[in-house]
Amino acid sequence: MSDTESSLPLFQQYQLAFTAHIRHPRQHMRPAGVQAKRMRVYNEIVFNNLQSSVGACYPVLQRVLGKRAWQALVRRFFAEHQASSPFFRDIPKAFLEFLPQVGTLPPYAVSLAHYEWVELAIASADTVTPLLTAEGDLLQGIPIVAPALAVLVYDYPVQKISARFKPRQALPEPVHLLVFRNEQDEVKFVEMNAMTARLLQVLQPGELTGLAALQQLGLEMGHADTDALISFGGALLEELRQQDIVWGIAVGDEAGIRPDAS
Amino acid sequence: MKQAQSHHPIKGAGLGLKRELLPQIQAAYGTGLTAHLDFVEIAPENWIGAGGKYAKQLAWFTARYPIVCHGLCLSLGGPDPLNEDFLHQVKQFLDQHQIPLYTEHLSYCTDGGYLYDLLPIPFTEEAVHHVAGRIRRTQEILERRIAVENASFYVASPIAEMDEASFIRAVLQEADCDLHLDINNIYVNSVNFGFDPHAFLREMPGERIVYAHIAGHDQEAEDLIIDTHGQDVIDPVWQLLREAYELFGVFPTLLERDTNIPPLADAMREVNKIADLQMAPQGIARQQPADPISRKRVPA
Ligand SMILES: [Fe+2]
Repeated sequence: MSDTESSLPLFQQYQLAFTAHIRHPRQHMRPAGVQAKRMRVYNEIVFNNLQSSVGACYPVLQRVLGKRAWQALVRRFFAEHQASSPFFRDIPKAFLEFLPQVGTLPPYAVSLAHYEWVELAIASADTVTPLLTAEGDLLQGIPIVAPALAVLVYDYPVQKISARFKPRQALPEPVHLLVFRNEQDEVKFVEMNAMTARLLQVLQPGELTGLAALQQLGLEMGHADTDALISFGGALLEELRQQDIVWGIAVGDEAGIRPDAS
Repeated sequence: MKQAQSHHPIKGAGLGLKRELLPQIQAAYGTGLTAHLDFVEIAPENWIGAGGKYAKQLAWFTARYPIVCHGLCLSLGGPDPLNEDFLHQVKQFLDQHQIPLYTEHLSYCTDGGYLYDLLPIPFTEEAVHHVAGRIRRTQEILERRIAVENASFYVASPIAEMDEASFIRAVLQEADCDLHLDINNIYVNSVNFGFDPHAFLREMPGERIVYAHIAGHDQEAEDLIIDTHGQDVIDPVWQLLREAYELFGVFPTLLERDTNIPPLADAMREVNKIADLQMAPQGIARQQPADPISRKRVPA
Protein backbone atom coordinates (compact mmCIF):
# COMPACT_ATOMS: atom_id res chain seq x y z
CA MET A 1 0.00 0.00 0.00
CA SER A 2 1.32 3.42 -0.93
CA ASP A 3 1.70 6.36 1.47
CA THR A 4 -1.32 8.17 0.03
CA GLU A 5 -3.43 5.08 0.51
CA SER A 6 -2.38 4.55 4.11
CA SER A 7 -3.39 8.14 4.92
CA LEU A 8 -6.92 7.38 3.75
CA PRO A 9 -9.70 6.54 6.21
CA LEU A 10 -9.77 2.87 7.10
CA PHE A 11 -12.98 2.16 5.17
CA GLN A 12 -11.42 3.52 1.98
CA GLN A 13 -8.24 1.50 2.47
CA TYR A 14 -10.51 -1.51 2.78
CA GLN A 15 -12.48 -0.56 -0.35
CA LEU A 16 -9.31 -0.17 -2.40
CA ALA A 17 -7.93 -3.49 -1.14
CA PHE A 18 -11.27 -5.06 -2.07
CA THR A 19 -11.17 -3.81 -5.67
CA ALA A 20 -7.43 -4.42 -6.04
CA HIS A 21 -8.14 -8.06 -5.32
CA ILE A 22 -11.09 -8.11 -7.75
CA ARG A 23 -8.97 -6.62 -10.52
CA HIS A 24 -5.91 -8.75 -9.90
CA PRO A 25 -6.58 -11.65 -7.51
CA ARG A 26 -3.12 -13.22 -7.93
CA GLN A 27 -1.28 -10.03 -7.17
CA HIS A 28 -3.44 -8.72 -4.32
CA MET A 29 -4.78 -10.80 -1.45
CA ARG A 30 -8.40 -10.28 -0.48
CA PRO A 31 -8.80 -8.00 2.56
CA ALA A 32 -8.19 -9.71 5.90
CA GLY A 33 -11.31 -11.13 7.49
CA VAL A 34 -13.23 -11.55 4.24
CA GLN A 35 -14.63 -15.01 3.54
CA ALA A 36 -12.98 -16.57 0.47
CA LYS A 37 -16.17 -18.13 -0.83
CA ARG A 38 -18.03 -14.81 -0.77
CA MET A 39 -15.12 -12.85 -2.18
CA ARG A 40 -15.13 -15.15 -5.19
CA VAL A 41 -18.67 -14.05 -6.02
CA TYR A 42 -17.34 -10.56 -6.69
CA ASN A 43 -14.26 -11.82 -8.51
CA GLU A 44 -16.57 -13.61 -10.91
CA ILE A 45 -19.47 -11.24 -11.41
CA VAL A 46 -17.45 -8.06 -11.84
CA PHE A 47 -15.12 -9.65 -14.38
CA ASN A 48 -17.90 -11.51 -16.19
CA ASN A 49 -20.00 -8.38 -16.53
CA LEU A 50 -17.08 -6.47 -17.97
CA GLN A 51 -16.23 -9.35 -20.26
CA SER A 52 -19.74 -9.47 -21.66
CA SER A 53 -19.82 -5.69 -22.17
CA VAL A 54 -16.58 -5.88 -24.12
CA GLY A 55 -17.43 -9.13 -25.89
CA ALA A 56 -20.75 -7.86 -27.22
CA CYS A 57 -18.87 -5.31 -29.30
CA TYR A 58 -16.11 -7.60 -30.58
CA PRO A 59 -17.59 -10.93 -31.71
CA VAL A 60 -15.13 -11.40 -34.59
CA LEU A 61 -11.98 -10.46 -32.69
CA GLN A 62 -13.12 -12.81 -29.96
CA ARG A 63 -13.45 -15.74 -32.37
CA VAL A 64 -10.24 -14.94 -34.21
CA LEU A 65 -8.19 -14.90 -31.00
CA GLY A 66 -9.85 -17.96 -29.49
CA LYS A 67 -11.41 -18.32 -26.08
CA ARG A 68 -8.25 -18.49 -23.96
CA ALA A 69 -6.41 -15.61 -25.58
CA TRP A 70 -9.57 -13.52 -25.51
CA GLN A 71 -10.14 -14.13 -21.80
CA ALA A 72 -6.52 -13.35 -21.02
CA LEU A 73 -6.77 -10.13 -23.00
CA VAL A 74 -9.92 -8.94 -21.21
CA ARG A 75 -8.33 -9.97 -17.91
CA ARG A 76 -5.34 -7.80 -18.59
CA PHE A 77 -7.57 -4.90 -19.65
CA PHE A 78 -9.55 -5.28 -16.44
CA ALA A 79 -6.43 -5.45 -14.28
CA GLU A 80 -4.53 -2.59 -15.91
CA HIS A 81 -7.02 -0.13 -17.32
CA GLN A 82 -8.61 2.63 -15.24
CA ALA A 83 -11.84 3.40 -17.08
CA SER A 84 -12.68 7.08 -16.92
CA SER A 85 -16.23 7.13 -18.28
CA PRO A 86 -19.43 6.26 -16.40
CA PHE A 87 -21.19 5.47 -19.69
CA PHE A 88 -21.46 1.81 -20.60
CA ARG A 89 -21.02 2.34 -24.31
CA ASP A 90 -17.56 3.77 -23.60
CA ILE A 91 -16.33 0.41 -22.28
CA PRO A 92 -15.65 -1.01 -25.76
CA LYS A 93 -13.97 2.25 -26.74
CA ALA A 94 -11.64 2.08 -23.74
CA PHE A 95 -10.82 -1.49 -24.72
CA LEU A 96 -9.99 -0.35 -28.25
CA GLU A 97 -7.68 2.33 -26.89
CA PHE A 98 -6.01 -0.23 -24.69
CA LEU A 99 -5.22 -2.71 -27.50
CA PRO A 100 -2.20 -0.99 -29.11
CA GLN A 101 -0.16 -1.42 -25.93
CA VAL A 102 -0.73 -5.18 -25.97
CA GLY A 103 2.34 -6.48 -27.74
CA THR A 104 1.22 -10.01 -28.44
CA LEU A 105 -1.74 -9.53 -30.78
CA PRO A 106 -1.84 -10.42 -34.49
CA PRO A 107 -0.95 -7.38 -36.63
CA TYR A 108 -4.52 -6.93 -37.93
CA ALA A 109 -6.13 -7.05 -34.45
CA VAL A 110 -6.32 -3.31 -33.80
CA SER A 111 -7.76 -2.61 -37.26
CA LEU A 112 -10.30 -5.39 -36.86
CA ALA A 113 -11.28 -4.13 -33.42
CA HIS A 114 -11.70 -0.61 -34.76
CA TYR A 115 -13.88 -1.91 -37.57
CA GLU A 116 -16.09 -3.72 -35.05
CA TRP A 117 -16.25 -0.79 -32.65
CA VAL A 118 -17.14 1.77 -35.30
CA GLU A 119 -20.48 0.07 -35.91
CA LEU A 120 -21.50 0.79 -32.32
CA ALA A 121 -20.07 4.32 -32.52
CA ILE A 122 -22.01 5.15 -35.69
CA ALA A 123 -25.22 3.51 -34.43
CA SER A 124 -25.24 5.65 -31.28
CA ALA A 125 -23.59 8.85 -32.57
CA ASP A 126 -25.53 11.87 -31.35
CA THR A 127 -25.82 13.83 -34.57
CA VAL A 128 -27.46 16.95 -35.90
CA THR A 129 -28.97 16.96 -39.39
CA PRO A 130 -28.78 20.25 -41.28
CA LEU A 131 -31.94 21.42 -43.02
CA LEU A 132 -31.93 19.84 -46.45
CA THR A 133 -34.05 18.96 -49.42
CA ALA A 134 -33.78 15.45 -50.79
CA GLU A 135 -34.16 16.71 -54.36
CA GLY A 136 -31.94 19.33 -55.93
CA ASP A 137 -28.81 19.71 -58.02
CA LEU A 138 -25.89 18.02 -56.32
CA LEU A 139 -23.32 19.96 -58.38
CA GLN A 140 -24.74 23.45 -57.82
CA GLY A 141 -25.99 22.80 -54.30
CA ILE A 142 -24.10 21.78 -51.15
CA PRO A 143 -24.53 18.00 -50.82
CA ILE A 144 -25.38 16.89 -47.29
CA VAL A 145 -23.96 13.49 -46.42
CA ALA A 146 -25.40 11.19 -43.74
CA PRO A 147 -24.60 12.95 -40.43
CA ALA A 148 -23.28 9.78 -38.83
CA LEU A 149 -20.61 8.77 -41.31
CA ALA A 150 -16.94 7.87 -41.29
CA VAL A 151 -14.44 7.04 -43.97
CA LEU A 152 -12.21 4.20 -42.81
CA VAL A 153 -8.85 3.19 -44.22
CA TYR A 154 -7.32 -0.13 -43.16
CA ASP A 155 -4.14 -1.96 -44.10
CA TYR A 156 -5.95 -5.27 -43.69
CA PRO A 157 -9.18 -6.56 -45.27
CA VAL A 158 -10.97 -6.25 -41.92
CA GLN A 159 -14.39 -6.83 -43.47
CA LYS A 160 -13.35 -10.33 -44.53
CA ILE A 161 -11.54 -11.47 -41.40
CA SER A 162 -13.02 -14.48 -39.61
CA ALA A 163 -11.83 -17.50 -37.65
CA ARG A 164 -11.18 -19.11 -41.04
CA PHE A 165 -9.52 -16.14 -42.67
CA LYS A 166 -6.69 -14.51 -40.77
CA PRO A 167 -4.62 -12.37 -43.12
CA ARG A 168 -0.89 -13.05 -43.01
CA GLN A 169 0.16 -9.73 -44.40
CA ALA A 170 -1.06 -6.23 -45.08
CA LEU A 171 -2.84 -5.43 -48.35
CA PRO A 172 -0.73 -3.98 -51.17
CA GLU A 173 -3.18 -1.06 -51.25
CA PRO A 174 -5.20 -0.08 -48.17
CA VAL A 175 -8.93 -0.81 -48.24
CA HIS A 176 -11.38 2.13 -48.07
CA LEU A 177 -14.62 1.51 -46.26
CA LEU A 178 -17.46 3.85 -45.69
CA VAL A 179 -19.65 3.37 -42.62
CA PHE A 180 -22.78 5.43 -42.20
CA ARG A 181 -26.22 5.47 -40.62
CA ASN A 182 -29.05 5.70 -43.14
CA GLU A 183 -32.32 7.53 -42.61
CA GLN A 184 -33.83 4.39 -41.09
CA ASP A 185 -31.00 4.44 -38.51
CA GLU A 186 -29.43 1.27 -39.88
CA VAL A 187 -25.64 1.11 -39.96
CA LYS A 188 -24.24 0.26 -43.40
CA PHE A 189 -20.73 -0.51 -44.59
CA VAL A 190 -19.74 0.10 -48.22
CA GLU A 191 -16.38 -0.68 -49.79
CA MET A 192 -15.28 2.09 -52.13
CA ASN A 193 -12.33 3.39 -54.09
CA ALA A 194 -9.95 6.00 -52.78
CA MET A 195 -11.44 8.79 -54.88
CA THR A 196 -15.01 8.29 -53.64
CA ALA A 197 -13.72 8.08 -50.10
CA ARG A 198 -11.84 11.35 -50.56
CA LEU A 199 -14.90 13.03 -52.12
CA LEU A 200 -16.99 12.12 -49.08
CA GLN A 201 -14.33 13.47 -46.74
CA VAL A 202 -14.34 16.75 -48.66
CA LEU A 203 -18.15 16.92 -48.55
CA GLN A 204 -18.56 15.91 -44.91
CA PRO A 205 -18.19 19.40 -43.38
CA GLY A 206 -21.14 20.51 -45.59
CA GLU A 207 -19.41 23.63 -46.85
CA LEU A 208 -18.65 22.98 -50.52
CA THR A 209 -20.97 22.60 -53.50
CA GLY A 210 -20.63 19.35 -55.41
CA LEU A 211 -18.85 21.25 -58.16
CA ALA A 212 -16.37 22.91 -55.81
CA ALA A 213 -15.67 19.60 -54.12
CA LEU A 214 -14.95 17.91 -57.44
CA GLN A 215 -12.71 20.78 -58.52
CA GLN A 216 -10.75 20.47 -55.32
CA LEU A 217 -10.38 16.74 -55.94
CA GLY A 218 -9.17 17.46 -59.49
CA LEU A 219 -6.48 19.75 -58.09
CA GLU A 220 -5.42 17.26 -55.46
CA MET A 221 -5.14 14.48 -58.03
CA GLY A 222 -3.47 16.68 -60.64
CA HIS A 223 -6.32 15.80 -62.99
CA ALA A 224 -6.00 17.63 -66.32
CA ASP A 225 -9.46 16.92 -67.76
CA THR A 226 -11.73 18.73 -65.32
CA ASP A 227 -14.82 18.38 -67.55
CA ALA A 228 -14.52 14.61 -67.58
CA LEU A 229 -14.02 14.57 -63.82
CA ILE A 230 -17.11 16.70 -63.29
CA SER A 231 -19.38 14.60 -65.47
CA PHE A 232 -18.07 11.45 -63.84
CA GLY A 233 -18.34 13.05 -60.39
CA GLY A 234 -21.90 14.24 -61.02
CA ALA A 235 -22.97 10.67 -61.76
CA LEU A 236 -21.10 9.46 -58.69
CA LEU A 237 -22.92 11.95 -56.46
CA GLU A 238 -26.28 10.75 -57.84
CA GLU A 239 -25.26 7.20 -57.08
CA LEU A 240 -24.36 8.19 -53.50
CA ARG A 241 -27.80 9.78 -53.18
CA GLN A 242 -29.42 6.52 -54.33
CA GLN A 243 -27.47 4.68 -51.63
CA ASP A 244 -28.72 7.04 -48.90
CA ILE A 245 -25.14 8.23 -48.30
CA VAL A 246 -25.88 11.71 -49.67
CA TRP A 247 -29.23 12.83 -48.22
CA GLY A 248 -29.84 15.88 -50.40
CA ILE A 249 -28.66 19.46 -50.60
CA ALA A 250 -28.52 22.10 -47.92
CA VAL A 251 -31.27 24.70 -47.66
CA GLY A 252 -31.38 27.91 -45.60
CA ASP A 253 -28.80 28.95 -43.06
CA GLU A 254 -27.24 27.35 -40.01
CA ALA A 255 -30.06 28.42 -37.75
CA GLY A 256 -32.13 25.73 -39.42
CA ILE A 257 -30.28 22.79 -37.96
CA ARG A 258 -32.25 20.45 -35.78
CA PRO A 259 -31.17 17.77 -33.34
CA ASP A 260 -32.06 14.33 -34.65
CA ALA A 261 -34.00 13.16 -31.63
CA SER A 262 -36.86 15.63 -31.95
CA MET B 1 -49.21 6.48 9.46
CA LYS B 2 -47.19 8.91 7.40
CA GLN B 3 -47.54 9.39 3.70
CA ALA B 4 -44.79 9.51 1.14
CA GLN B 5 -43.68 13.12 1.07
CA SER B 6 -42.64 13.59 -2.52
CA HIS B 7 -44.88 15.25 -5.08
CA HIS B 8 -43.34 13.73 -8.14
CA PRO B 9 -45.70 12.32 -10.73
CA ILE B 10 -44.39 8.76 -10.57
CA LYS B 11 -47.23 6.54 -9.38
CA GLY B 12 -48.38 2.96 -9.57
CA ALA B 13 -46.42 0.10 -11.09
CA GLY B 14 -43.48 0.23 -13.49
CA LEU B 15 -41.04 -1.85 -15.45
CA GLY B 16 -37.30 -1.45 -16.08
CA LEU B 17 -36.75 -0.54 -19.73
CA LYS B 18 -34.47 -3.25 -21.07
CA ARG B 19 -33.53 -3.10 -24.74
CA GLU B 20 -35.08 -6.52 -25.35
CA LEU B 21 -38.45 -5.41 -23.99
CA LEU B 22 -38.55 -2.05 -25.64
CA PRO B 23 -40.01 -3.00 -29.06
CA GLN B 24 -42.52 -5.26 -27.31
CA ILE B 25 -43.76 -2.42 -25.13
CA GLN B 26 -44.04 -0.18 -28.18
CA ALA B 27 -46.04 -2.85 -30.01
CA ALA B 28 -48.32 -3.44 -27.02
CA TYR B 29 -48.89 0.24 -26.30
CA GLY B 30 -52.58 1.04 -25.84
CA THR B 31 -53.54 -2.63 -25.51
CA GLY B 32 -54.73 -4.44 -22.40
CA LEU B 33 -51.32 -6.01 -21.98
CA THR B 34 -49.73 -2.76 -20.81
CA ALA B 35 -52.84 -1.24 -19.22
CA HIS B 36 -51.22 -1.30 -15.75
CA LEU B 37 -47.83 -0.07 -16.84
CA ASP B 38 -47.73 3.38 -15.25
CA PHE B 39 -44.07 4.33 -15.71
CA VAL B 40 -40.73 2.99 -16.88
CA GLU B 41 -37.20 3.22 -15.49
CA ILE B 42 -33.95 3.79 -17.35
CA ALA B 43 -30.27 3.93 -16.44
CA PRO B 44 -28.91 7.36 -17.39
CA GLU B 45 -25.54 5.72 -18.11
CA ASN B 46 -27.17 3.95 -21.06
CA TRP B 47 -29.12 6.83 -22.55
CA ILE B 48 -27.31 10.13 -22.01
CA GLY B 49 -25.67 11.21 -25.25
CA ALA B 50 -27.06 8.33 -27.30
CA GLY B 51 -28.30 9.37 -30.74
CA GLY B 52 -29.85 7.58 -33.69
CA LYS B 53 -32.44 4.93 -32.95
CA TYR B 54 -31.73 5.19 -29.22
CA ALA B 55 -32.67 8.86 -29.14
CA LYS B 56 -35.85 8.11 -31.08
CA GLN B 57 -36.78 5.26 -28.74
CA LEU B 58 -36.23 7.49 -25.74
CA ALA B 59 -38.36 10.23 -27.31
CA TRP B 60 -41.13 7.68 -27.90
CA PHE B 61 -41.14 6.70 -24.23
CA THR B 62 -40.80 10.19 -22.76
CA ALA B 63 -43.84 11.26 -24.79
CA ARG B 64 -45.95 8.44 -23.35
CA TYR B 65 -44.68 7.44 -19.91
CA PRO B 66 -43.35 9.11 -16.79
CA ILE B 67 -39.70 8.09 -16.48
CA VAL B 68 -37.52 7.30 -13.48
CA CYS B 69 -33.74 7.52 -13.78
CA HIS B 70 -31.98 4.84 -11.77
CA GLY B 71 -28.26 5.43 -11.87
CA LEU B 72 -25.57 2.77 -11.70
CA CYS B 73 -22.20 4.52 -11.83
CA LEU B 74 -22.32 7.56 -9.58
CA SER B 75 -20.36 5.64 -6.95
CA LEU B 76 -21.83 7.44 -3.95
CA GLY B 77 -19.65 5.34 -1.67
CA GLY B 78 -16.51 5.52 -3.78
CA PRO B 79 -13.06 6.81 -2.82
CA ASP B 80 -12.69 9.00 -5.94
CA PRO B 81 -13.91 12.57 -6.18
CA LEU B 82 -17.58 12.71 -7.14
CA ASN B 83 -17.87 12.91 -10.95
CA GLU B 84 -19.46 16.36 -11.14
CA ASP B 85 -19.14 16.63 -14.93
CA PHE B 86 -21.27 13.53 -15.14
CA LEU B 87 -23.77 14.96 -12.64
CA HIS B 88 -24.14 18.09 -14.75
CA GLN B 89 -24.92 15.86 -17.70
CA VAL B 90 -27.46 14.00 -15.59
CA LYS B 91 -29.09 17.28 -14.60
CA GLN B 92 -29.33 18.40 -18.19
CA PHE B 93 -30.81 15.03 -19.13
CA LEU B 94 -33.40 15.10 -16.32
CA ASP B 95 -34.43 18.62 -17.29
CA GLN B 96 -34.53 17.95 -21.01
CA HIS B 97 -36.77 14.90 -20.64
CA GLN B 98 -38.70 16.20 -17.62
CA ILE B 99 -37.68 13.21 -15.52
CA PRO B 100 -38.93 13.78 -11.97
CA LEU B 101 -36.96 11.18 -10.05
CA TYR B 102 -33.30 10.19 -9.95
CA THR B 103 -32.14 7.43 -7.64
CA GLU B 104 -28.76 5.82 -6.97
CA HIS B 105 -27.31 2.91 -5.03
CA LEU B 106 -25.82 2.89 -1.60
CA SER B 107 -22.65 1.30 -2.96
CA TYR B 108 -19.45 2.13 -4.85
CA CYS B 109 -18.17 1.27 -8.31
CA THR B 110 -14.88 3.14 -8.66
CA ASP B 111 -11.32 2.74 -7.41
CA GLY B 112 -9.58 5.35 -9.52
CA GLY B 113 -11.39 3.87 -12.53
CA TYR B 114 -14.88 2.56 -13.11
CA LEU B 115 -15.63 -1.09 -12.40
CA TYR B 116 -19.25 -0.83 -13.59
CA ASP B 117 -20.58 -2.96 -10.76
CA LEU B 118 -22.11 -2.39 -7.34
CA LEU B 119 -19.68 -2.99 -4.49
CA PRO B 120 -20.42 -2.87 -0.76
CA ILE B 121 -19.57 0.09 1.44
CA PRO B 122 -18.24 -0.87 4.88
CA PHE B 123 -20.74 0.30 7.46
CA THR B 124 -18.55 2.67 9.45
CA GLU B 125 -19.07 6.10 10.99
CA GLU B 126 -16.57 7.67 8.60
CA ALA B 127 -18.33 6.07 5.64
CA VAL B 128 -21.65 7.56 6.78
CA HIS B 129 -20.20 11.09 6.65
CA HIS B 130 -18.44 10.44 3.36
CA VAL B 131 -21.53 9.11 1.59
CA ALA B 132 -23.89 11.65 3.12
CA GLY B 133 -21.64 14.49 1.98
CA ARG B 134 -21.64 13.15 -1.56
CA ILE B 135 -25.42 12.77 -1.59
CA ARG B 136 -25.77 16.37 -0.40
CA ARG B 137 -23.43 17.57 -3.14
CA THR B 138 -25.38 15.53 -5.69
CA GLN B 139 -28.66 17.09 -4.58
CA GLU B 140 -27.03 20.51 -4.79
CA ILE B 141 -25.87 20.00 -8.37
CA LEU B 142 -29.10 18.38 -9.50
CA GLU B 143 -31.13 21.00 -7.62
CA ARG B 144 -33.51 18.33 -6.35
CA ARG B 145 -33.76 15.60 -3.78
CA ILE B 146 -32.55 12.19 -4.82
CA ALA B 147 -33.52 8.80 -3.45
CA VAL B 148 -30.86 6.32 -2.41
CA GLU B 149 -31.38 2.58 -2.69
CA ASN B 150 -30.40 -0.14 -0.24
CA ALA B 151 -28.11 -2.46 -2.20
CA SER B 152 -27.70 -6.22 -2.20
CA PHE B 153 -24.27 -7.65 -1.45
CA TYR B 154 -22.32 -10.82 -0.71
CA VAL B 155 -19.45 -9.88 1.56
CA ALA B 156 -19.91 -8.60 5.09
CA SER B 157 -17.17 -6.09 5.79
CA PRO B 158 -15.01 -7.16 8.76
CA ILE B 159 -14.49 -3.50 9.73
CA ALA B 160 -18.22 -2.68 10.04
CA GLU B 161 -19.16 -0.67 13.11
CA MET B 162 -22.93 -0.95 12.70
CA ASP B 163 -25.54 -3.05 10.94
CA GLU B 164 -26.94 -2.25 7.52
CA ALA B 165 -30.25 -0.79 8.71
CA SER B 166 -28.45 1.60 11.08
CA PHE B 167 -26.08 2.60 8.28
CA ILE B 168 -28.95 3.36 5.92
CA ARG B 169 -30.81 5.39 8.54
CA ALA B 170 -27.70 7.35 9.46
CA VAL B 171 -26.82 8.17 5.84
CA LEU B 172 -30.36 9.22 4.90
CA GLN B 173 -30.67 11.40 7.94
CA GLU B 174 -27.32 13.12 7.57
CA ALA B 175 -27.80 13.61 3.82
CA ASP B 176 -31.49 14.47 4.17
CA CYS B 177 -32.44 12.50 1.09
CA ASP B 178 -35.22 10.09 0.18
CA LEU B 179 -35.21 6.31 0.35
CA HIS B 180 -35.53 4.07 -2.67
CA LEU B 181 -36.47 0.84 -0.96
CA ASP B 182 -35.47 -2.35 -2.74
CA ILE B 183 -37.65 -5.08 -1.26
CA ASN B 184 -35.76 -7.89 -2.98
CA ASN B 185 -32.43 -6.56 -1.72
CA ILE B 186 -33.70 -6.76 1.85
CA TYR B 187 -34.59 -10.40 1.29
CA VAL B 188 -31.31 -11.21 -0.52
CA ASN B 189 -29.23 -9.70 2.26
CA SER B 190 -31.34 -11.37 4.96
CA VAL B 191 -30.39 -14.74 3.47
CA ASN B 192 -26.79 -13.82 2.70
CA PHE B 193 -26.18 -12.46 6.20
CA GLY B 194 -28.77 -14.31 8.26
CA PHE B 195 -31.06 -11.60 9.61
CA ASP B 196 -34.83 -11.18 9.87
CA PRO B 197 -36.10 -9.25 6.81
CA HIS B 198 -39.33 -8.26 8.56
CA ALA B 199 -37.47 -6.66 11.43
CA PHE B 200 -35.18 -4.92 8.94
CA LEU B 201 -38.18 -3.55 7.05
CA ARG B 202 -39.64 -2.10 10.23
CA GLU B 203 -36.35 -0.31 10.88
CA MET B 204 -36.53 1.58 7.59
CA PRO B 205 -37.47 5.27 7.81
CA GLY B 206 -40.90 4.97 6.19
CA GLU B 207 -41.40 8.71 5.88
CA ARG B 208 -38.49 8.89 3.42
CA ILE B 209 -39.66 6.14 1.05
CA VAL B 210 -40.59 7.54 -2.37
CA TYR B 211 -39.98 4.54 -4.59
CA ALA B 212 -39.46 0.79 -4.46
CA HIS B 213 -38.00 -2.09 -6.45
CA ILE B 214 -39.03 -5.69 -6.53
CA ALA B 215 -37.19 -8.45 -8.38
CA GLY B 216 -36.30 -12.11 -8.61
CA HIS B 217 -32.89 -13.63 -7.90
CA ASP B 218 -30.90 -16.87 -8.07
CA GLN B 219 -30.53 -18.95 -4.93
CA GLU B 220 -27.03 -20.47 -5.17
CA ALA B 221 -26.94 -22.14 -1.79
CA GLU B 222 -29.01 -22.19 1.34
CA ASP B 223 -27.14 -19.16 2.64
CA LEU B 224 -26.26 -17.43 -0.65
CA ILE B 225 -28.49 -15.57 -3.11
CA ILE B 226 -27.04 -13.95 -6.22
CA ASP B 227 -29.09 -10.90 -7.10
CA THR B 228 -29.41 -11.55 -10.83
CA HIS B 229 -32.85 -10.05 -11.41
CA GLY B 230 -33.19 -13.06 -13.65
CA GLN B 231 -36.10 -15.04 -12.16
CA ASP B 232 -39.71 -14.53 -11.16
CA VAL B 233 -40.28 -12.75 -7.85
CA ILE B 234 -40.63 -15.32 -5.07
CA ASP B 235 -43.51 -15.38 -2.58
CA PRO B 236 -41.57 -14.24 0.50
CA VAL B 237 -40.55 -11.11 -1.44
CA TRP B 238 -44.14 -10.41 -2.50
CA GLN B 239 -45.08 -10.86 1.14
CA LEU B 240 -42.45 -8.29 2.17
CA LEU B 241 -43.83 -5.81 -0.37
CA ARG B 242 -47.35 -6.31 0.97
CA GLU B 243 -46.00 -5.78 4.46
CA ALA B 244 -44.16 -2.62 3.42
CA TYR B 245 -47.39 -1.16 1.96
CA GLU B 246 -49.17 -1.98 5.20
CA LEU B 247 -46.46 -0.39 7.30
CA PHE B 248 -45.67 2.71 5.26
CA GLY B 249 -48.46 3.17 2.72
CA VAL B 250 -48.32 2.56 -1.00
CA PHE B 251 -45.38 3.91 -2.99
CA PRO B 252 -44.59 3.61 -6.71
CA THR B 253 -42.98 0.24 -7.30
CA LEU B 254 -41.01 -1.16 -10.21
CA LEU B 255 -40.27 -4.67 -11.39
CA GLU B 256 -36.58 -5.11 -12.22
CA ARG B 257 -35.68 -7.78 -14.72
CA ASP B 258 -32.11 -7.59 -16.01
CA THR B 259 -31.12 -11.08 -17.14
CA ASN B 260 -32.98 -14.05 -18.59
CA ILE B 261 -35.53 -11.54 -19.90
CA PRO B 262 -38.95 -13.15 -20.43
CA PRO B 263 -41.55 -12.13 -23.01
CA LEU B 264 -43.34 -8.90 -22.08
CA ALA B 265 -46.53 -10.78 -21.16
CA ASP B 266 -44.67 -12.63 -18.39
CA ALA B 267 -43.07 -9.48 -17.03
CA MET B 268 -46.43 -7.70 -17.14
CA ARG B 269 -48.01 -10.44 -15.03
CA GLU B 270 -45.67 -9.37 -12.24
CA VAL B 271 -46.20 -5.67 -12.89
CA ASN B 272 -49.94 -6.32 -12.67
CA LYS B 273 -49.42 -8.10 -9.40
CA ILE B 274 -47.73 -4.98 -8.02
CA ALA B 275 -50.75 -2.96 -9.17
CA ASP B 276 -53.08 -5.46 -7.47
CA LEU B 277 -51.23 -5.16 -4.17
CA GLN B 278 -51.35 -1.39 -4.43
CA MET B 279 -55.11 -1.52 -4.91
CA ALA B 280 -55.69 -3.79 -1.92
CA PRO B 281 -57.91 -2.08 0.71
CA GLN B 282 -55.08 -1.20 3.06
CA GLY B 283 -53.27 0.32 0.08
CA ILE B 284 -56.09 2.49 -1.21
CA ALA B 285 -56.62 4.11 2.14
CA ARG B 286 -53.09 5.48 2.18
CA GLN B 287 -52.57 6.18 -1.48
CA GLN B 288 -51.80 9.75 -2.44
CA PRO B 289 -54.50 11.72 -4.22
CA ALA B 290 -54.20 11.59 -7.98
CA ASP B 291 -51.93 14.31 -9.26
CA PRO B 292 -53.38 16.13 -12.28
CA ILE B 293 -49.95 16.68 -13.81
CA SER B 294 -48.91 13.10 -13.33
CA ARG B 295 -49.87 11.97 -16.80
CA LYS B 296 -47.96 13.26 -19.72
CA ARG B 297 -49.68 14.33 -22.86
CA VAL B 298 -50.03 11.40 -25.21
CA PRO B 299 -49.84 12.25 -28.88
CA ALA B 300 -52.82 10.99 -30.86
FE1 LIG C 1 -33.02 -2.29 -7.20
